Amino acid sequence: MKYYCPKTLAEYFDLSKSIAAFDVSVIAGGTDLVPRYERGDHLPDYLIDLKHLSEINSIEVDDDSIKIGSLSTIQNIQDHSLIQEEFGALHSAAYDFAGAQIRHRGTIGGNICNASPAGDLLPPLYAFEAMLTLQGPAGERQIPIGEFILGPGATDLRVSELLTGVTLVRKGYQSLFQKVGLRQSMAISVLNLACVFEGKHQAPTHLRITAGAVAPTVVSLDAFCEAYKAAPGKLSELLGLIDEAISPIDDIRATANYRHTVLKNLIKEILKN
Amino acid sequence: MLHHPSPTPFQLAVTVNGKLVEREVVTHLRLMDFLRDDLGLTGTKEVCGEGECGACTIIMDGQTVNSCLILAVEAQGREILTIEGLADMDALTQLQKAFEDHHAVQCGYCIPGMVLIGEKLLERTPQPTRAEIKYELSGNICRCTGYHKIVDAIENATDKHA
Repeated sequence: MKYYCPKTLAEYFDLSKSIAAFDVSVIAGGTDLVPRYERGDHLPDYLIDLKHLSEINSIEVDDDSIKIGSLSTIQNIQDHSLIQEEFGALHSAAYDFAGAQIRHRGTIGGNICNASPAGDLLPPLYAFEAMLTLQGPAGERQIPIGEFILGPGATDLRVSELLTGVTLVRKGYQSLFQKVGLRQSMAISVLNLACVFEGKHQAPTHLRITAGAVAPTVVSLDAFCEAYKAAPGKLSELLGLIDEAISPIDDIRATANYRHTVLKNLIKEILKN
Repeated sequence: MLHHPSPTPFQLAVTVNGKLVEREVVTHLRLMDFLRDDLGLTGTKEVCGEGECGACTIIMDGQTVNSCLILAVEAQGREILTIEGLADMDALTQLQKAFEDHHAVQCGYCIPGMVLIGEKLLERTPQPTRAEIKYELSGNICRCTGYHKIVDAIENATDKHA
């Protein structure tokens, strides 16, 4: 396994082109990749370390949006004051993310490209309708996060392409994040959810609720949210729409039935308060 | 000209506990194994090997990290502090003394990680609350002490830091 550490995107694309015939992996934080190698996963011919690509390592804010470079660490996100003020659910997900050592290494780009059904940053990013920027040898494209993640560990990332940025539009919505786990830190979520809203919970003018670890990818509970906005007084009758939208499994962390019940209870509590 | 690779050597240059170390390593070697096996710095412990327990915590470029989740090659050009580099045995830090005073050590296996996490917390927040201490320690597991004495030690060391 040869190791390379390009300093610019141009250098990355040149390198990537020159070794296109080989088995190539990229590494960002490495918090998922390194233990996989240690467990005996196949080593690629080439490993390209992205951490020195300063072009994709910053968080930029303008009047309308915030663009988070894909190499931003979970700690960078937790520490960013505008994210805390305007994208509270994303801040909370970063705050609750693993432990300090992993927050210092893990990146937002890695959390997205890993495409874990339980990834804690994902429900907030879906709820804020994050737009991803991907750069490849042929140029740049934009894609909503919900179209990029295809299934557990599967994405629309093309050969030699890099996820370079995550853009969130500053709409001034309120938001919250909740996770259910055996403990608040470290434990992989039994389920997690983000709620983005405007107005009062009991009568929101905007409402988007997304949930993780209840289906192969994060689920946006759009039918439920629309029905609730139209008839907030009928919350109890509408909860069945949540059951219809999710397809959790029984696994070592919880049963499918438990996830159905807990998700509905959490949403009920959020909307009542 | 790039050639088809085979298990590959790499010339690593990294500063460990204030000294520049230059060694040839294989590219898939973990930083933890480099520190323990190549440099003999066995104060850094392996327990879970997958970033769940914090026993392998070191400080790299000023940040606490799990050395089991990092390849040695990723440390190229960086500065590492392990528990061995924190203090001399006859001149412990205030926090290390507080661990002694509060009997915060039983088997000791998690302690290098706990101490390094505590030192970084105190550097940033000289008088942390118990809640802040527990939050910071949440990536470090101890199976002996029940944590209270460790939190006591960090909390008490802060008075001396102030």
